[in-house]
Amino acid sequence: MEWLLWFSKPENTKPLALIIFFVTFMGIVIYVYGSKKRSQKLESYRDIPFLDDETGTKDKQ
Amino acid sequence: MAASTSYSGVEQYNFDIVKKFSVMALVWAVIGMFVGVYIASELAWPFLNFDSPYFSFGRFRPVHTTSVIFGFGGSALFATSYYVVQRTCQTRLISDGMASFTFWGWQAVILLAGLSYLGGYSQGREYAEMEWPIDLLIEVVWVTYLILFVGTIMRRKQPHIYVANWFYLAFILATALLHTFNNLAMPVDLFSMKSYSLFAGTQDAMTQWWYGHNAVGFFLTAAFLGMMYYFVPKQAGRPIYSYRLSIVHFWALGFMYMWVGAHHLHWTALPDWTSSLAAAFSILLLMPSWGGMINGIMTLSGAWDKLRTDPVMRFMIVALSFYGMSTFEGPMMSLKEVNALSHYTDWTVGHVHSGALGWVAMISFGSLYHMMPKLWDTKVYSQKLVEWHFWLATIGIVLYIVAMWISGITQGLMWRAFDEFGNLQYSFVESVAAMMPFYAMRAIGGMFFLSGAVLMTYNMFMTIRQGKREAAALEAKLAAKMAHA
Amino acid sequence: MNFNFKHEWIETNIGLMAVLTMLAISVGGLVEIAPLFFIDKTIEKVEGVRPYTPLEQRGRDIYIREGCYTCHSQMIRPFRDEKLRYGHYSLAAESQYDHPFQWGSKRTGPDLARVGGKYSNEWHVQHLIAPRSMVPESVMPNYPWLMSPLDISDVAGRMKALRKVGVPYSLTQAEYEANVTKFGETVAKQLHIPDAQKNLVEQANFGNYDGDRSGISEMDALVAYLQVLGTMVDFSKYSDDAFVSDR
Repeated sequence: MEWLLWFSKPENTKPLALIIFFVTFMGIVIYVYGSKKRSQKLESYRDIPFLDDETGTKDKQ
Repeated sequence: MAASTSYSGVEQYNFDIVKKFSVMALVWAVIGMFVGVYIASELAWPFLNFDSPYFSFGRFRPVHTTSVIFGFGGSALFATSYYVVQRTCQTRLISDGMASFTFWGWQAVILLAGLSYLGGYSQGREYAEMEWPIDLLIEVVWVTYLILFVGTIMRRKQPHIYVANWFYLAFILATALLHTFNNLAMPVDLFSMKSYSLFAGTQDAMTQWWYGHNAVGFFLTAAFLGMMYYFVPKQAGRPIYSYRLSIVHFWALGFMYMWVGAHHLHWTALPDWTSSLAAAFSILLLMPSWGGMINGIMTLSGAWDKLRTDPVMRFMIVALSFYGMSTFEGPMMSLKEVNALSHYTDWTVGHVHSGALGWVAMISFGSLYHMMPKLWDTKVYSQKLVEWHFWLATIGIVLYIVAMWISGITQGLMWRAFDEFGNLQYSFVESVAAMMPFYAMRAIGGMFFLSGAVLMTYNMFMTIRQGKREAAALEAKLAAKMAHA
Repeated sequence: MNFNFKHEWIETNIGLMAVLTMLAISVGGLVEIAPLFFIDKTIEKVEGVRPYTPLEQRGRDIYIREGCYTCHSQMIRPFRDEKLRYGHYSLAAESQYDHPFQWGSKRTGPDLARVGGKYSNEWHVQHLIAPRSMVPESVMPNYPWLMSPLDISDVAGRMKALRKVGVPYSLTQAEYEANVTKFGETVAKQLHIPDAQKNLVEQANFGNYDGDRSGISEMDALVAYLQVLGTMVDFSKYSDDAFVSDR
């Protein structure tokens, strides 16, 4: 359990933070761009703002 | 599968609350920017303090920051978030009563805060000057907002939650977290407005700037990115450039912003590792920031002519450009060597305003110009005035930033200048005297920006009147038809 | 690894998304703020720093009320020019009783961390009432209303609130004696809450900061506060690089 003490040293927060950040970040990037099928699916969500488009009275005038 | 609804959406959506917040956003914009111009003028012409406690710079400045950030920015965010969440989830807000409560509660907060500063009640923490009773009211309003927003998302008809809502959600959560911890304080007694913060000295400084910078990061950035992710595609008539980029953008920005607050405390009594770590993250933050900017601007690729023909689009694209510029300037200023020169000077003030005027205000103006005519089911009253507003605002920002760059760097250099004998070359007051022309220039830049906002308010007032008149005419026509039949 | 992770879970589950977002935004603050409360190096070991006397604390309240921090910092950085202009760089220990801190972020006017003792009381009074009569180029507002009487009715209440957040003002005999050991008898008497009003009046009358003996004004309190700023630590007792390792 000696290794746990490494975390208690304030000067180790910098490398630790960078490792955590980097791993998480790479995970997200690989997830998002990793598969073609998933990419297509994700990109299909771009259209959500246009799904409830108005068919109101004014536009038709 | 377009859901066919009536344009004003009386049944399907609660647009009444959106209308109220939109109008108040404009009202607070004019008030807050007027106070801003006034205090800027006080620095150039100190007689404007008029020996009155109520108009003196120290008490008046928080009135400016509170009414522009929380009054104008906050109301614009409430308005657009309620609009976006309803339309992208294709459902109505879960409770009209709660929505109404957030409206009146929030307006009360801004009004009470402003009056209490004038009366000398202040916590002495930048951008969190409200004393504890007002803080409690904010807390209640904010939790209501969270419940309303999340509840509406849970009732959505669309399986996927659109990315704009993620940004709004992060903003609501982060603001709750920041507000709570930064305002922990001990009141003198239950009937006293005065309180003392729970933390002292270094810990207090770190907590305050963790709050201060993340108010920028989540209130003034993430939330307005939510606005951008809905209104830029809508105004351009084309979907966002890359949805995948927006996902990466969201998680990276949300994670990294919270680390950077301590760059406000370089070279202070805060332990060195904290501010260095913050600086490292500030540099990294450039990536997601620019990712977001590129995503917004590239949405227009293939339709660049819109920049020439559509002044509302121009507001949005210029906003994104200023976002890109200030998110480059920020990391640069967080470098310890640059910060040694820039900190405590007007450069910081200029940087804040290139973000606040250039990004926050411009994207809000663009979004409101898009949204308000739709809410009242009409067209903008005058495109020409929109055009005028755009140029007044842009010129105003440029004057402001340039003035602050020059004065800030001049201050920094004068303070550290030595003569040939190794003594300080300038007394402090010489640097004050040297600022006068730039303070005047800054006030003039602010006046330009303010007059643009006044034009917009007039334009929207006329738009609303026109919308109401059209609706009345339509109704009369329908009634006449019914009578004939 | 048979872990079929789907971002869709997050995108379609608002509760999960809220939790993850909360997690992402909490890490930074935790890592940077939490250690400051546990590392004893955060605040230097140094002699002389004491809580404010009742009069000084009331002055500090007025400093905050008027928003002085919007134009004046109280944090000297370790640069040669700042040392020449303002004095020794500020220590964390020097603001350890400051609720809230007033380090500031802008120097429209000069830093005030060590303004104590640099000017006479008369200079401060005149300068606060009409800054341009002393410094023609100044852009500071006039503060004539500071000559109005100081409200001393709730000074004990204020000290009690400060005591609750950790300032060693004494309420009991035991606390008073602890203060005598820590700060010496003269200071400990000033920190005793039951005597707060008496102490305040005595210090104001003895110091006569506003030059007007007819009563105790807000000016008395503010000037008393300004005159103590940065004077508590005697830096001649420490070597030049005594605090470098704390940075």
